[in-house]
Amino acid sequence: MSTGTARDLTDPGLYSQGEPHEVWRHLREHDPVHWQPNSGRGGGYWVVTRYADVERVLHDYSAFTSERGTLLNLLGRGDPAAGKQLAATDPPHHDRARIPLKQALAVKPLASFSDRIQAGIRDLLAPGADGQPFDFAVAMSQLPLVALGPILGLPTEDYPRLIRLAMMSTAEEDPEFQLPGGVEPTLKRGHREIFAYFSDLVRARLRNPGDDLISVLAETEVDGERISTGSVISNCYSMLLGSAGTLPHVPIAAIVELAGSPTYGDWAAHPELLDSGIEEALRWATPASNFMRYALHPVELSGVPVAEGDAVVAYLASANRDAKVFPDPDVFDIRRRPNRHLAFGVGHHYCVGSHLARLALRLLFTELFATFSSIEVVGEIERMHSTFLAGFKRVPVAGVPRRATVEG
Amino acid sequence: MAVEAAQQTSVQERLAQLWTARLEISPIGLDDDFFELGGDSLTAAELQGDIDKEFGVEVSATTLFLSPTITELTQVIEEAVAAAPSGTTGAHPGGRQ
Ligand code: HEM
Repeated sequence: MSTGTARDLTDPGLYSQGEPHEVWRHLREHDPVHWQPNSGRGGGYWVVTRYADVERVLHDYSAFTSERGTLLNLLGRGDPAAGKQLAATDPPHHDRARIPLKQALAVKPLASFSDRIQAGIRDLLAPGADGQPFDFAVAMSQLPLVALGPILGLPTEDYPRLIRLAMMSTAEEDPEFQLPGGVEPTLKRGHREIFAYFSDLVRARLRNPGDDLISVLAETEVDGERISTGSVISNCYSMLLGSAGTLPHVPIAAIVELAGSPTYGDWAAHPELLDSGIEEALRWATPASNFMRYALHPVELSGVPVAEGDAVVAYLASANRDAKVFPDPDVFDIRRRPNRHLAFGVGHHYCVGSHLARLALRLLFTELFATFSSIEVVGEIERMHSTFLAGFKRVPVAGVPRRATVEG
Repeated sequence: MAVEAAQQTSVQERLAQLWTARLEISPIGLDDDFFELGGDSLTAAELQGDIDKEFGVEVSATTLFLSPTITELTQVIEEAVAAAPSGTTGAHPGGRQ
Protein backbone atom coordinates (compact mmCIF):
# COMPACT_ATOMS: atom_id res chain seq x y z
CA MET A 1 0.00 0.00 0.00
CA SER A 2 1.31 3.44 -0.90
CA THR A 3 2.28 5.71 1.95
CA GLY A 4 2.70 8.73 -0.29
CA THR A 5 0.95 12.04 0.05
CA ALA A 6 -2.06 10.47 -1.61
CA ARG A 7 -3.07 8.86 1.68
CA ASP A 8 -6.16 10.57 2.98
CA LEU A 9 -5.48 12.09 6.40
CA THR A 10 -9.21 12.58 6.93
CA ASP A 11 -9.73 8.80 6.86
CA PRO A 12 -9.85 7.45 10.44
CA GLY A 13 -8.80 4.09 8.99
CA LEU A 14 -5.31 5.50 8.44
CA TYR A 15 -4.94 5.74 12.21
CA SER A 16 -6.54 2.43 13.15
CA GLN A 17 -5.06 0.26 10.38
CA GLY A 18 -2.40 2.26 8.53
CA GLU A 19 0.95 3.84 9.31
CA PRO A 20 0.35 7.55 10.00
CA HIS A 21 3.95 8.06 11.12
CA GLU A 22 5.17 6.95 7.70
CA VAL A 23 2.74 9.29 5.98
CA TRP A 24 3.86 12.18 8.20
CA ARG A 25 7.55 11.42 7.65
CA HIS A 26 6.98 11.48 3.91
CA LEU A 27 5.14 14.79 4.20
CA ARG A 28 7.83 16.35 6.43
CA GLU A 29 10.43 15.49 3.84
CA HIS A 30 8.61 16.14 0.58
CA ASP A 31 5.47 18.17 1.14
CA PRO A 32 5.67 19.85 4.56
CA VAL A 33 2.60 22.04 4.04
CA HIS A 34 0.21 19.81 2.19
CA TRP A 35 -3.32 20.62 0.97
CA GLN A 36 -5.77 17.99 2.18
CA PRO A 37 -9.26 18.02 0.63
CA ASN A 38 -11.85 17.32 3.30
CA SER A 39 -13.41 14.19 1.90
CA GLY A 40 -17.18 14.24 1.80
CA ARG A 41 -17.59 17.57 3.53
CA GLY A 42 -16.11 19.99 1.02
CA GLY A 43 -13.28 22.45 1.45
CA GLY A 44 -10.02 21.28 2.88
CA TYR A 45 -7.14 22.27 5.09
CA TRP A 46 -3.37 22.64 5.22
CA VAL A 47 -1.55 19.75 6.84
CA VAL A 48 1.48 21.20 8.67
CA THR A 49 4.00 18.54 9.67
CA ARG A 50 7.40 20.10 10.49
CA TYR A 51 8.32 21.04 14.05
CA ALA A 52 9.25 24.63 13.19
CA ASP A 53 5.98 25.25 11.31
CA VAL A 54 3.81 23.52 13.91
CA GLU A 55 5.40 25.61 16.64
CA ARG A 56 4.82 28.77 14.66
CA VAL A 57 1.15 28.01 13.92
CA LEU A 58 0.44 27.37 17.60
CA HIS A 59 2.50 30.34 18.80
CA ASP A 60 1.51 33.09 16.42
CA TYR A 61 -2.08 33.92 17.35
CA SER A 62 -1.94 37.19 15.41
CA ALA A 63 -1.66 35.13 12.19
CA PHE A 64 -3.54 31.96 13.23
CA THR A 65 -6.75 32.33 15.19
CA SER A 66 -8.34 29.75 17.50
CA GLU A 67 -11.69 31.51 17.45
CA ARG A 68 -13.23 29.56 14.57
CA GLY A 69 -12.64 26.25 16.31
CA THR A 70 -9.51 24.21 16.95
CA LEU A 71 -10.78 20.67 16.53
CA LEU A 72 -10.58 19.16 13.10
CA ASN A 73 -13.80 17.23 13.64
CA LEU A 74 -15.64 20.56 13.73
CA LEU A 75 -14.27 21.73 10.36
CA GLY A 76 -17.24 22.59 8.15
CA ARG A 77 -19.70 21.66 10.89
CA GLY A 78 -19.82 24.57 13.24
CA ASP A 79 -19.03 24.07 16.88
CA PRO A 80 -21.90 22.30 18.67
CA ALA A 81 -20.76 23.65 22.01
CA ALA A 82 -19.80 26.94 20.37
CA GLY A 83 -17.16 29.51 20.63
CA LYS A 84 -16.86 30.44 24.27
CA GLN A 85 -14.59 27.60 25.37
CA LEU A 86 -11.19 28.75 26.58
CA ALA A 87 -9.44 26.79 23.85
CA ALA A 88 -11.40 28.67 21.19
CA THR A 89 -10.53 32.23 22.21
CA ASP A 90 -7.56 34.43 21.28
CA PRO A 91 -5.53 36.79 23.46
CA PRO A 92 -6.10 39.21 25.06
CA HIS A 93 -9.52 37.86 26.10
CA HIS A 94 -8.12 34.33 26.28
CA ASP A 95 -5.46 35.21 28.84
CA ARG A 96 -8.03 36.63 31.27
CA ALA A 97 -10.42 33.74 30.71
CA ARG A 98 -7.58 31.32 31.48
CA ILE A 99 -6.80 32.75 34.93
CA PRO A 100 -9.30 30.68 36.97
CA LEU A 101 -8.23 27.31 35.51
CA LYS A 102 -4.59 28.27 35.69
CA GLN A 103 -4.93 29.00 39.40
CA ALA A 104 -7.06 25.97 40.14
CA LEU A 105 -4.77 23.58 38.25
CA ALA A 106 -1.47 24.95 39.57
CA VAL A 107 1.00 22.62 41.30
CA LYS A 108 0.11 23.70 44.82
CA PRO A 109 -3.69 23.24 44.93
CA LEU A 110 -3.27 19.86 43.22
CA ALA A 111 -0.79 18.51 45.77
CA SER A 112 -3.45 17.87 48.41
CA PHE A 113 -5.28 15.47 46.07
CA SER A 114 -2.23 13.32 45.40
CA ASP A 115 -3.08 10.55 47.92
CA ARG A 116 -6.59 10.15 46.59
CA ILE A 117 -5.37 9.99 43.01
CA GLN A 118 -2.79 7.40 43.99
CA ALA A 119 -5.43 5.23 45.65
CA GLY A 120 -7.53 5.40 42.49
CA ILE A 121 -4.55 4.37 40.38
CA ARG A 122 -3.91 1.36 42.60
CA ASP A 123 -7.51 0.26 41.99
CA LEU A 124 -7.01 0.58 38.23
CA LEU A 125 -4.04 -1.80 38.33
CA ALA A 126 -5.67 -4.20 40.80
CA PRO A 127 -7.20 -6.49 38.12
CA GLY A 128 -3.69 -7.47 37.01
CA ALA A 129 -1.75 -7.05 40.23
CA ASP A 130 -1.43 -10.78 40.87
CA GLY A 131 -0.17 -11.51 37.39
CA GLN A 132 -3.55 -12.24 35.73
CA PRO A 133 -3.96 -10.96 32.17
CA PHE A 134 -5.89 -7.68 32.00
CA ASP A 135 -6.57 -5.05 29.39
CA PHE A 136 -4.22 -2.17 30.11
CA ALA A 137 -6.01 0.16 27.66
CA VAL A 138 -9.39 -0.50 29.27
CA ALA A 139 -7.91 0.06 32.74
CA MET A 140 -6.20 3.31 31.70
CA SER A 141 -9.35 4.67 30.05
CA GLN A 142 -10.52 5.56 33.57
CA LEU A 143 -7.28 7.36 34.49
CA PRO A 144 -8.60 10.83 33.57
CA LEU A 145 -11.45 10.50 36.03
CA VAL A 146 -9.25 8.95 38.66
CA ALA A 147 -7.24 12.18 38.35
CA LEU A 148 -10.12 14.66 37.85
CA GLY A 149 -12.74 13.01 40.03
CA PRO A 150 -11.20 13.84 43.40
CA ILE A 151 -10.34 17.40 42.44
CA LEU A 152 -13.82 18.13 41.07
CA GLY A 153 -15.57 16.07 43.75
CA LEU A 154 -17.31 13.76 41.25
CA PRO A 155 -19.10 10.61 42.45
CA THR A 156 -17.14 7.52 41.33
CA GLU A 157 -20.30 5.91 39.92
CA ASP A 158 -20.45 8.70 37.33
CA TYR A 159 -16.93 8.03 35.97
CA PRO A 160 -17.78 5.51 33.21
CA ARG A 161 -20.63 7.64 31.87
CA LEU A 162 -18.49 10.77 31.76
CA ILE A 163 -15.69 8.93 29.94
CA ARG A 164 -18.20 7.65 27.42
CA LEU A 165 -19.67 11.12 26.80
CA ALA A 166 -16.21 12.59 26.41
CA MET A 167 -15.28 9.91 23.88
CA MET A 168 -18.50 10.61 21.95
CA SER A 169 -17.38 14.23 21.76
CA THR A 170 -13.78 13.60 20.70
CA ALA A 171 -13.61 10.16 19.01
CA GLU A 172 -17.04 10.29 17.37
CA GLU A 173 -15.78 8.36 14.32
CA ASP A 174 -15.00 5.27 16.37
CA PRO A 175 -17.81 2.69 16.07
CA GLU A 176 -17.42 1.95 19.76
CA PHE A 177 -18.61 5.44 20.69
CA GLN A 178 -20.72 6.44 17.70
CA LEU A 179 -24.53 6.54 18.05
CA PRO A 180 -26.68 4.82 15.42
CA GLY A 181 -27.48 8.19 13.76
CA GLY A 182 -23.84 8.82 12.84
CA VAL A 183 -21.17 11.37 13.58
CA GLU A 184 -23.26 14.55 13.98
CA PRO A 185 -25.83 13.27 16.48
CA THR A 186 -22.99 11.64 18.40
CA LEU A 187 -21.09 14.90 18.74
CA LYS A 188 -24.22 16.85 19.56
CA ARG A 189 -25.45 14.46 22.17
CA GLY A 190 -22.02 14.04 23.77
CA HIS A 191 -21.40 17.77 24.11
CA ARG A 192 -24.87 18.53 25.38
CA GLU A 193 -24.98 15.81 27.97
CA ILE A 194 -21.62 16.90 29.37
CA PHE A 195 -22.84 20.46 29.63
CA ALA A 196 -26.06 19.30 31.23
CA TYR A 197 -24.17 17.17 33.73
CA PHE A 198 -21.91 20.00 34.82
CA SER A 199 -24.73 22.56 34.84
CA ASP A 200 -26.55 20.49 37.44
CA LEU A 201 -23.38 19.75 39.38
CA VAL A 202 -22.22 23.37 39.51
CA ARG A 203 -25.64 24.53 40.64
CA ALA A 204 -25.58 21.99 43.47
CA ARG A 205 -22.01 22.93 44.40
CA LEU A 206 -22.78 26.64 44.50
CA ARG A 207 -25.38 25.89 47.10
CA ASN A 208 -23.18 23.48 49.04
CA PRO A 209 -19.54 24.43 48.55
CA GLY A 210 -16.82 21.87 49.38
CA ASP A 211 -13.05 21.65 49.22
CA ASP A 212 -13.11 20.69 45.54
CA LEU A 213 -11.96 22.85 42.65
CA ILE A 214 -15.48 23.55 41.36
CA SER A 215 -16.14 25.42 44.58
CA VAL A 216 -12.77 27.16 44.23
CA LEU A 217 -13.51 28.11 40.61
CA ALA A 218 -16.91 29.48 41.55
CA GLU A 219 -15.22 31.86 43.98
CA THR A 220 -12.44 32.96 41.68
CA GLU A 221 -12.36 36.67 40.96
CA VAL A 222 -10.93 38.19 37.82
CA ASP A 223 -10.48 41.97 37.98
CA GLY A 224 -12.44 42.06 41.22
CA GLU A 225 -15.45 40.19 39.85
CA ARG A 226 -16.59 36.62 40.41
CA ILE A 227 -16.53 34.60 37.21
CA SER A 228 -19.95 33.67 35.83
CA THR A 229 -21.65 30.34 36.48
CA GLY A 230 -21.51 29.73 32.76
CA SER A 231 -17.75 29.98 32.75
CA VAL A 232 -17.44 27.63 35.74
CA ILE A 233 -19.49 25.06 33.79
CA SER A 234 -17.54 25.66 30.65
CA ASN A 235 -14.25 25.20 32.52
CA CYS A 236 -15.46 21.85 33.90
CA TYR A 237 -16.39 20.82 30.38
CA SER A 238 -12.93 21.81 29.13
CA MET A 239 -11.23 19.83 31.89
CA LEU A 240 -13.18 16.70 31.07
CA LEU A 241 -12.67 16.95 27.32
CA GLY A 242 -9.06 18.00 27.74
CA SER A 243 -8.17 14.95 29.77
CA ALA A 244 -10.49 12.10 28.78
CA GLY A 245 -9.08 11.25 25.38
CA THR A 246 -5.48 12.22 26.02
CA LEU A 247 -4.16 11.13 29.40
CA PRO A 248 -4.75 7.34 29.05
CA HIS A 249 -2.76 7.17 25.85
CA VAL A 250 0.52 8.21 27.38
CA PRO A 251 0.97 5.11 29.56
CA ILE A 252 -0.76 2.89 26.99
CA ALA A 253 1.57 3.93 24.15
CA ALA A 254 4.56 3.59 26.46
CA ILE A 255 3.59 0.06 27.47
CA VAL A 256 2.88 -1.03 23.89
CA GLU A 257 6.40 0.12 23.05
CA LEU A 258 8.20 -1.07 26.18
CA ALA A 259 6.40 -4.33 26.99
CA GLY A 260 8.84 -7.19 26.71
CA SER A 261 11.79 -4.84 26.14
CA PRO A 262 14.70 -4.27 28.54
CA THR A 263 13.86 -0.55 28.62
CA TYR A 264 10.95 -1.24 31.00
CA GLY A 265 13.29 -2.74 33.61
CA ASP A 266 15.91 -0.07 33.01
CA TRP A 267 13.36 2.68 33.63
CA ALA A 268 11.88 0.92 36.66
CA ALA A 269 15.36 0.54 38.16
CA HIS A 270 16.18 4.25 37.83
CA PRO A 271 13.74 6.43 39.74
CA GLU A 272 15.80 9.48 38.77
CA LEU A 273 14.65 8.86 35.18
CA LEU A 274 10.97 8.97 36.11
CA ASP A 275 10.49 12.49 34.73
CA SER A 276 12.63 12.25 31.59
CA GLY A 277 10.93 8.94 30.79
CA ILE A 278 7.50 10.54 31.21
CA GLU A 279 8.44 13.41 28.90
CA GLU A 280 9.57 10.82 26.36
CA ALA A 281 6.28 8.94 26.77
CA LEU A 282 4.45 12.23 26.14
CA ARG A 283 6.48 12.87 22.98
CA TRP A 284 6.03 9.28 21.87
CA ALA A 285 2.27 9.17 22.38
CA THR A 286 1.24 12.76 21.47
CA PRO A 287 -2.38 11.73 22.08
CA ALA A 288 -3.93 14.95 20.79
CA SER A 289 -2.34 14.47 17.40
CA ASN A 290 -3.39 17.78 15.83
CA PHE A 291 -4.99 21.16 16.48
CA MET A 292 -6.55 23.53 13.98
CA ARG A 293 -6.23 27.27 13.43
CA TYR A 294 -7.46 29.67 10.70
CA ALA A 295 -5.13 32.07 8.89
CA LEU A 296 -6.10 35.67 9.58
CA HIS A 297 -4.01 37.04 6.73
CA PRO A 298 -1.89 35.59 3.94
CA VAL A 299 1.23 33.82 5.33
CA GLU A 300 3.99 31.55 4.12
CA LEU A 301 4.88 28.28 5.85
CA SER A 302 7.99 26.47 4.57
CA GLY A 303 7.65 28.57 1.44
CA VAL A 304 4.05 27.56 0.78
CA PRO A 305 1.57 30.44 0.53
CA VAL A 306 -1.44 30.07 2.84
CA ALA A 307 -4.38 32.32 2.01
CA GLU A 308 -6.43 34.38 4.43
CA GLY A 309 -9.27 32.29 5.84
CA ASP A 310 -7.65 28.91 5.17
CA ALA A 311 -7.86 26.19 7.80
CA VAL A 312 -4.41 25.15 9.00
CA VAL A 313 -3.97 21.96 10.99
CA ALA A 314 -0.78 21.58 13.03
CA TYR A 315 0.19 17.92 13.41
CA LEU A 316 1.84 17.80 16.83
CA ALA A 317 2.34 14.07 16.48
CA SER A 318 4.42 14.65 13.35
CA ALA A 319 6.40 17.54 14.82
CA ASN A 320 7.35 15.31 17.76
CA ARG A 321 9.07 12.89 15.36
CA ASP A 322 10.92 15.56 13.38
CA ALA A 323 14.53 14.39 13.08
CA LYS A 324 15.72 18.01 12.86
CA VAL A 325 14.79 18.43 16.52
CA PHE A 326 14.83 14.89 17.94
CA PRO A 327 17.84 12.72 17.00
CA ASP A 328 16.67 9.14 16.32
CA PRO A 329 13.05 10.26 16.59
CA ASP A 330 11.65 6.73 16.30
CA VAL A 331 13.57 5.47 19.34
CA PHE A 332 11.90 5.62 22.76
CA ASP A 333 14.77 7.02 24.81
CA ILE A 334 14.00 7.41 28.52
CA ARG A 335 17.20 9.49 28.86
CA ARG A 336 16.35 11.92 26.03
CA ARG A 337 17.46 15.45 26.89
CA PRO A 338 16.65 18.04 25.80
CA ASN A 339 13.13 16.97 24.95
CA ARG A 340 11.16 20.01 23.85
CA HIS A 341 8.17 18.02 22.67
CA LEU A 342 4.91 19.69 21.67
CA ALA A 343 2.53 17.12 23.20
CA PHE A 344 1.01 19.88 25.40
CA GLY A 345 1.17 22.46 22.60
CA VAL A 346 3.08 25.71 22.93
CA GLY A 347 2.31 29.39 23.48
CA HIS A 348 -0.79 30.92 25.02
CA HIS A 349 -2.88 27.76 24.73
CA TYR A 350 -0.21 25.51 26.27
CA CYS A 351 -2.15 22.80 28.08
CA VAL A 352 -3.51 24.32 31.27
CA GLY A 353 -3.95 20.79 32.66
CA SER A 354 -0.28 19.85 32.21
CA HIS A 355 0.49 19.87 35.95
CA LEU A 356 -2.40 17.54 36.64
CA ALA A 357 -1.39 15.33 33.72
CA ARG A 358 2.21 15.13 34.93
CA LEU A 359 1.13 14.47 38.51
CA ALA A 360 -1.14 11.62 37.38
CA LEU A 361 1.57 10.19 35.12
CA ARG A 362 4.18 10.28 37.90
CA LEU A 363 1.84 8.47 40.27
CA LEU A 364 0.86 6.00 37.57
CA PHE A 365 4.35 5.01 36.46
CA THR A 366 5.60 4.84 40.05
CA GLU A 367 2.75 2.49 40.93
CA LEU A 368 3.24 0.47 37.76
CA PHE A 369 6.97 -0.07 38.42
CA ALA A 370 6.26 -0.92 42.05
CA THR A 371 3.64 -3.48 40.99
CA PHE A 372 5.26 -5.25 38.03
CA SER A 373 8.91 -6.16 37.46
CA SER A 374 8.08 -6.72 33.81
CA ILE A 375 5.06 -6.66 31.57
CA GLU A 376 4.12 -8.46 28.32
CA VAL A 377 1.48 -7.95 25.66
CA VAL A 378 -0.52 -11.20 25.58
CA GLY A 379 -3.15 -10.65 22.86
CA GLU A 380 -4.33 -8.61 19.89
CA ILE A 381 -3.93 -4.89 20.30
CA GLU A 382 -6.45 -2.54 18.73
CA ARG A 383 -5.90 1.11 17.85
CA MET A 384 -8.34 4.03 18.03
CA HIS A 385 -10.32 4.80 14.89
CA SER A 386 -10.01 8.59 15.07
CA THR A 387 -8.44 11.41 13.07
CA PHE A 388 -7.77 13.41 16.25
CA LEU A 389 -6.88 11.10 19.11
CA ALA A 390 -3.95 8.78 18.60
CA GLY A 391 -4.02 5.74 20.82
CA PHE A 392 -5.15 2.24 21.61
CA LYS A 393 -8.45 0.75 22.70
CA ARG A 394 -7.34 -2.79 23.54
CA VAL A 395 -3.98 -3.83 24.90
CA PRO A 396 -4.19 -7.17 26.71
CA VAL A 397 -1.17 -7.51 28.99
CA ALA A 398 0.10 -9.60 31.87
CA GLY A 399 2.64 -8.34 34.37
CA VAL A 400 5.04 -10.23 36.60
CA PRO A 401 4.16 -9.09 40.13
CA ARG A 402 7.15 -7.75 41.99
CA ARG A 403 5.96 -9.31 45.25
CA ALA A 404 6.14 -12.75 43.67
CA THR A 405 9.60 -12.09 42.22
CA VAL A 406 10.87 -10.95 45.59
CA GLU A 407 9.37 -13.88 47.48
CA GLY A 408 10.26 -16.57 44.97
CA MET B 1 -50.90 28.17 15.23
CA ALA B 2 -53.39 30.97 15.94
CA VAL B 3 -55.37 28.69 18.23
CA GLU B 4 -52.21 27.63 19.99
CA ALA B 5 -51.12 31.22 20.43
CA ALA B 6 -54.46 32.14 21.94
CA GLN B 7 -54.15 29.38 24.50
CA GLN B 8 -50.63 30.27 25.50
CA THR B 9 -50.23 30.13 29.22
CA SER B 10 -48.23 32.62 31.12
CA VAL B 11 -45.46 30.08 31.75
CA GLN B 12 -45.08 29.76 28.02
CA GLU B 13 -44.96 33.51 27.53
CA ARG B 14 -42.44 34.04 30.25
CA LEU B 15 -40.28 31.21 28.91
CA ALA B 16 -40.42 32.70 25.45
CA GLN B 17 -39.29 36.04 26.90
CA LEU B 18 -36.31 34.36 28.57
CA TRP B 19 -35.40 32.68 25.28
CA THR B 20 -35.72 35.93 23.38
CA ALA B 21 -33.44 37.67 25.87
CA ARG B 22 -30.75 35.00 25.53
CA LEU B 23 -31.04 34.35 21.81
CA GLU B 24 -31.87 37.89 20.78
CA ILE B 25 -34.55 36.72 18.38
CA SER B 26 -38.35 36.70 18.30
CA PRO B 27 -40.95 35.43 17.77
CA ILE B 28 -40.21 31.98 19.08
CA GLY B 29 -42.43 29.02 18.15
CA LEU B 30 -43.61 26.66 20.87
CA ASP B 31 -41.87 23.72 19.24
CA ASP B 32 -38.70 25.42 18.06
CA ASP B 33 -35.52 23.74 19.24
CA PHE B 34 -33.38 26.05 21.38
CA PHE B 35 -30.20 24.84 19.72
CA GLU B 36 -31.57 25.16 16.21
CA LEU B 37 -32.43 28.77 16.98
CA GLY B 38 -28.73 29.37 17.54
CA GLY B 39 -28.46 28.57 21.24
CA ASP B 40 -25.26 26.89 22.31
CA SER B 41 -24.52 24.83 25.39
CA LEU B 42 -23.24 27.76 27.37
CA THR B 43 -26.32 29.85 26.59
CA ALA B 44 -28.44 26.90 27.62
CA ALA B 45 -26.61 26.69 30.94
CA GLU B 46 -27.30 30.38 31.46
CA LEU B 47 -30.94 29.86 30.53
CA GLN B 48 -31.12 27.24 33.25
CA GLY B 49 -30.12 29.93 35.74
CA ASP B 50 -32.75 32.28 34.27
CA ILE B 51 -35.44 29.62 34.71
CA ASP B 52 -34.40 29.00 38.33
CA LYS B 53 -34.79 32.69 39.09
CA GLU B 54 -37.92 33.37 37.07
CA PHE B 55 -39.99 30.42 38.28
CA GLY B 56 -38.38 29.65 41.61
CA VAL B 57 -38.13 25.97 40.69
CA GLU B 58 -35.21 23.96 39.42
CA VAL B 59 -35.34 22.34 36.03
CA SER B 60 -32.66 19.73 35.53
CA ALA B 61 -30.20 20.65 32.86
CA THR B 62 -30.75 17.26 31.25
CA THR B 63 -34.36 18.24 30.53
CA LEU B 64 -33.30 21.57 29.18
CA PHE B 65 -30.59 20.12 26.95
CA LEU B 66 -32.43 17.07 25.68
CA SER B 67 -35.98 18.48 25.42
CA PRO B 68 -35.19 22.03 24.39
CA THR B 69 -38.63 23.32 23.30
CA ILE B 70 -41.00 25.75 25.01
CA THR B 71 -43.75 23.12 25.01
CA GLU B 72 -41.66 20.49 26.76
CA LEU B 73 -40.13 22.90 29.23
CA THR B 74 -43.49 24.40 30.12
CA GLN B 75 -44.75 21.00 31.09
CA VAL B 76 -41.73 20.33 33.28
CA ILE B 77 -41.91 23.74 34.93
CA GLU B 78 -45.64 23.39 35.61
CA GLU B 79 -45.08 19.99 37.18
CA ALA B 80 -42.26 21.35 39.31
CA VAL B 81 -44.36 24.31 40.39
CA ALA B 82 -47.27 22.06 41.30
CA ALA B 83 -44.96 19.88 43.39
CA ALA B 84 -43.38 22.84 45.19
CA PRO B 85 -44.87 24.02 48.52
CA SER B 86 -47.35 26.81 47.77
CA GLY B 87 -46.23 30.38 48.23
CA THR B 88 -42.61 29.56 47.46
CA THR B 89 -42.78 30.26 43.77
CA GLY B 90 -43.91 33.03 41.53
CA ALA B 91 -45.02 30.71 38.80
CA HIS B 92 -48.81 30.89 39.12
CA PRO B 93 -50.42 32.65 36.23
CA GLY B 94 -50.43 36.31 37.05
CA GLY B 95 -48.69 35.66 40.33
CA ARG B 96 -45.52 37.47 39.46
CA GLN B 97 -44.25 39.89 42.07
C1 HEM C 1 -1.41 13.87 28.59
C2 HEM C 1 -2.51 14.55 28.69
C3 HEM C 1 -2.82 15.80 27.91
C4 HEM C 1 -2.40 16.19 26.66
C5 HEM C 1 -1.49 15.44 25.69
C6 HEM C 1 -2.99 17.49 26.41
C7 HEM C 1 -2.77 18.25 25.26
C8 HEM C 1 -3.16 19.57 25.09
C9 HEM C 1 -2.78 20.43 24.00
C10 HEM C 1 -1.88 20.03 22.85
C11 HEM C 1 -3.37 21.64 24.18
C12 HEM C 1 -3.24 22.89 23.28
C13 HEM C 1 -4.41 23.03 22.33
C14 HEM C 1 -4.25 24.17 21.36
O1 HEM C 1 -3.15 24.75 21.21
O2 HEM C 1 -5.25 24.52 20.70
C15 HEM C 1 -4.15 21.54 25.39
C16 HEM C 1 -4.94 22.55 25.90
C17 HEM C 1 -5.79 22.37 26.97
N1 HEM C 1 -5.83 21.28 27.82
FE1 HEM C 1 -4.68 19.61 27.71
N2 HEM C 1 -3.75 17.84 27.48
C18 HEM C 1 -3.66 16.84 28.42
C19 HEM C 1 -4.26 16.82 29.65
C20 HEM C 1 -5.15 17.76 30.10
C21 HEM C 1 -5.80 17.74 31.37
C22 HEM C 1 -5.57 16.70 32.45
C23 HEM C 1 -6.63 18.83 31.40
C24 HEM C 1 -7.56 19.34 32.48
C25 HEM C 1 -7.73 18.91 33.64
C26 HEM C 1 -6.48 19.53 30.15
C27 HEM C 1 -7.16 20.68 29.80
C28 HEM C 1 -6.81 21.51 28.75
C29 HEM C 1 -7.44 22.79 28.49
C30 HEM C 1 -8.58 23.42 29.27
C31 HEM C 1 -6.80 23.34 27.37
C32 HEM C 1 -7.07 24.70 26.70
C33 HEM C 1 -6.06 25.67 27.21
C34 HEM C 1 -6.11 27.02 26.53
O3 HEM C 1 -6.69 27.14 25.44
O4 HEM C 1 -5.56 27.99 27.10
N3 HEM C 1 -5.57 18.86 29.39
N4 HEM C 1 -4.00 20.27 25.93
